[in-house]
Amino acid sequence: MGLLAIAPALFLILALTLYPVAYSIWLSLLEKHSFFPQERFVGLENYFYLWKDPEFWTSLWLGVVYSIWTIFFQIILGVAAALILNETFVGRGLVRGIVLFPYMIPTIVAVILWKWLLNDTYGVVNYWLLAFGIVWDPISWLGADHIMLSVIVISIWQFFPFVLLSILARLQTIPPELYEAAKVDGASAFRRFVHVTLPQIRGILFVVILLRSIWMFTKFDTVWLMGEGAGAGRFIRTLPVYAYMRTLTYYQAGLGAALAVIMFAILVVCTIIYFRLFREEADIG
Amino acid sequence: MTRWRWRRPSTRGLLYVGAVLLALQASFPFFWMASTSFKPPPEVFAQPPSFIPQDPTWDNFRRLFTATGFLVYFKNSLIVSGLAVLLTMVVSAAGAYSLTRYRYVGREKIAGLILCTYMFAPIMVVIPFFILVKKAGIENTHFALVLAFTSFCLPFTLWLMRAFFATIPIELEEAALVDGAGRVRAVVYVVLPLALPGIIATSIFTFILAWNDYIFTRILITSDELKTLPVGVQDLFHSALIDWGLIMAAGMMITIPALLFFIAVQRYLISGWGAGAVKG
Repeated sequence: MGLLAIAPALFLILALTLYPVAYSIWLSLLEKHSFFPQERFVGLENYFYLWKDPEFWTSLWLGVVYSIWTIFFQIILGVAAALILNETFVGRGLVRGIVLFPYMIPTIVAVILWKWLLNDTYGVVNYWLLAFGIVWDPISWLGADHIMLSVIVISIWQFFPFVLLSILARLQTIPPELYEAAKVDGASAFRRFVHVTLPQIRGILFVVILLRSIWMFTKFDTVWLMGEGAGAGRFIRTLPVYAYMRTLTYYQAGLGAALAVIMFAILVVCTIIYFRLFREEADIG
Repeated sequence: MTRWRWRRPSTRGLLYVGAVLLALQASFPFFWMASTSFKPPPEVFAQPPSFIPQDPTWDNFRRLFTATGFLVYFKNSLIVSGLAVLLTMVVSAAGAYSLTRYRYVGREKIAGLILCTYMFAPIMVVIPFFILVKKAGIENTHFALVLAFTSFCLPFTLWLMRAFFATIPIELEEAALVDGAGRVRAVVYVVLPLALPGIIATSIFTFILAWNDYIFTRILITSDELKTLPVGVQDLFHSALIDWGLIMAAGMMITIPALLFFIAVQRYLISGWGAGAVKG
């Protein structure tokens, strides 16, 4: 009876997630057109091809750059904002609701919003920069030189509320007595953060950094939608975007699958290293 | 006359500055979208830009509804997201009930397996999924899309529902069983009403995830009349001259349902968050 109730869920997870992921390993050993049924077993040829493919290495590098910057600032901003919203002040409930909006809206909306704000001729960002005399010429935010910066800023804007909410939920469970005791001992705000808050949020921080790293490294929609139609898209062609393009622009499903498998392998290796390095933190929380 | 002197900024002052900045960075882009969507075309491109539309008009929305496939996309989004919610909720409510009420070998392993699937990002699932869907001959159907959303949402709804069911005391059901109710009656009359807030919150999270999806729809749906909103709206960009007023109106119409739902479940959010109600 109990097994009967869990069976549909297990079946769907197996059939719709685990089987496709396992199948992608098989697919990565094939030469296969994305739309026609023909397929040919080629062994590890797709992997050898990628090893010598400069575009693969570029996309890996761009993906790493994108992930590191976005994760770093999401964590910093998320923790800082959580500390602010954990204090009591007039209108706190309202601000708490508003700051989550960017995380709740569809990515397509975030992207069209920002493409319009950053428009080089009519965008309000360039208008302000010029009006305040910060720059003399409009900046081409979606051009080759700045598109990586733009997509990093937008991603931070869109995803740091996740960090904020996770940390805030934990902060609310810290007993106030801890802070009072520290205050009595004459600890400054900074020292209270380092010696009281930080040890308490360490566990959740461990999980949040892990999840955000996985999700940023595999982030497709924000990056792809920003690059699409911008002309400078190839300057933000990260690994997930490259995998998509191999599959649906060049119709090389085998290569696309190989890229997905490589992405997954990188994630697994990094996760294991991460656990080895920081496991104690996870246990504290 | 008092002399102005430099004072160390007070902590409270800094707190308010921080709070105002937080609210502004999150709300200004939306304000700007709303403002642009009510401007007639010449005003959209006016320099300097006007913050409040000087000559507000519904024209962008009228064109959105009449000249584009917006209403079709909207209907498709509702259908697909609704069906995905229905399927995931039935399956995950049953699964969560089982995981919290029955003891069997491997129960903890199943919970671990669910968490593991968080590692599989959409981009890794969607490429093989696309090929498999073609092999099954169901490409370019809403059915394939509902399955895809289910694969994406199920692990986390199951996880979340498990946390909700775990908070319902088992004694209540036992009392009903002792009173002679069958298992099914006990579940329907005792457990489900108590789990309702959790079920509603989880449904809405699932709905928002499905509503917001871009990648699965982009890859699995090719014909225009089956597209959902995010993909349909992105395709508005493919005209030669970008009609920003129209696009901002479309942005408004996608955002409003998601935000209404979000506001409705906001009070569950913090507790849900603790239970792992997160993805993406």
